[in-house]
Amino acid sequence: MGLDYQLVLWNKHKKTYDKIIAFSMLLYIILFAVITLVFNAETSIETLVIRAFGSLAIIMLHIILVIGPLARLNSNFLPILYNRRHLGVSMFIAALIHGGFSIFQFHALGDVNPIYSVFTSNMDYASLTNFPFQVLGFLALLILFVMASTSHDFFLGNLSAKVWKRLHMLVYVAYALIIAHVFLGAFQQETSVFTIGILVIGFVIVVSLHLITAFKEGKIDAAKAEEKEGWLKVCDISEIEEDRAKIFTVENERVAIFKYDGKLSAIHNVCKHQGGPLGEGKIIDGCITCPWHGYQYLPGNGQSPPPFTEKVATYALKLQGEMIYINPDAFNEGTEVEPCNY
Amino acid sequence: MEIIITIFLIALGTYVLIGLLFGLYFLFKGAAKIDPLMQDTKKRVRFLLFPGVAATWPFLIRKLFKPKTT
Ligand code: HEM
Ligand code: FES
Repeated sequence: MGLDYQLVLWNKHKKTYDKIIAFSMLLYIILFAVITLVFNAETSIETLVIRAFGSLAIIMLHIILVIGPLARLNSNFLPILYNRRHLGVSMFIAALIHGGFSIFQFHALGDVNPIYSVFTSNMDYASLTNFPFQVLGFLALLILFVMASTSHDFFLGNLSAKVWKRLHMLVYVAYALIIAHVFLGAFQQETSVFTIGILVIGFVIVVSLHLITAFKEGKIDAAKAEEKEGWLKVCDISEIEEDRAKIFTVENERVAIFKYDGKLSAIHNVCKHQGGPLGEGKIIDGCITCPWHGYQYLPGNGQSPPPFTEKVATYALKLQGEMIYINPDAFNEGTEVEPCNY
Repeated sequence: MEIIITIFLIALGTYVLIGLLFGLYFLFKGAAKIDPLMQDTKKRVRFLLFPGVAATWPFLIRKLFKPKTT
């Protein structure tokens, strides 16, 4: 949202978050080093770096994977969601240090190309306990690289939101590869109980949070509305909080019905930026504000306030007593609709 | 197995090489054609975008050659 691209769209909050990220990472590395050296003073510095950054990366990856579902279950987590991209890039840097050091340590000293060596130094691909687990780490690192390097808004626009989203869904593939990387590695390395513990607990948390969110959203879709002369009965006015919305499924589309200043307006629930759930956002300064990155839309016509040009579809509402009805036929994106007064 | 690995790594290397060459052309010339915001974008931002362009060049090339829709 500007006339040229900036390095990073920093604002005060983001700077604070970035400082927190950098500081936490540093603290973790220092703590990890101290604790390891206390318990095992003979650990070499290379092994220390490899283990510290490997475990740091996997912890950060877990945080990244749970932010999405957490923010949907509880809006207090939304600020972290806005900062997820920076967290992702930082995680990639930690993983890169881990992978880079490993390659340097185990593969750079021979006369074969180090990357070729990652794939061929152990050819036991049919084995479980002696599987070349570093290959899995390498493939995961490739995916993380693609994600980190395309995290700038430039790619969102120029790869198209659809392709971008798909690329970033690969994070789940990377996650699976990394889990296999650590578990298969544990057969060959004395991987610490700590790391295995994080991974098992983390996996359970990630999966259950995703399931809970999916279940909750499934319920929204299943709630079937009653029909009356083409209008669908949705809910009582009192069920919607002031300056907030409730989300309904109308003709297989999610629709958000907002309540503000004694008025009601309905718009398509999907943000034009990256498909954020507008109905989970708030009305701020008279604009529906997307909970993900703050794109704004006017409730009356679904248009972003000038100079921006995003538009979402709008819907007609009517009231009978306290009951809200919606016309399931969407208007074209950005169509002005008289809000329903109550 | 070694053959598969060799083919994979050569393919990966070729992909990256094309990406790097395309990236240079794209960021300093081509990008402005598909994205007006790039016209005034500063040099250091272009370097920041470089790795991503090298990684996703097939998508960007397709966009560059597609007839304009807007
Ligand atoms: C080029 C890519 C990679 C290579 C060559 C590589 C190599 C290794 C090696 C050699 C170990 C065993 C270290 C030891 O216990 O002494 C290891 C463990 C590990 N790796 Fe990787 N890795 C790569 C990518 C990744 C990525 C992308 C992640 C996660 C984001 C990751 C996470 C881990 C973790 C959590 C461990 C266990 C650390 C521990 O023993 O406490 N690795 N890796
Ligand atoms: S999805 Fe990014 S602002 Fe809505």
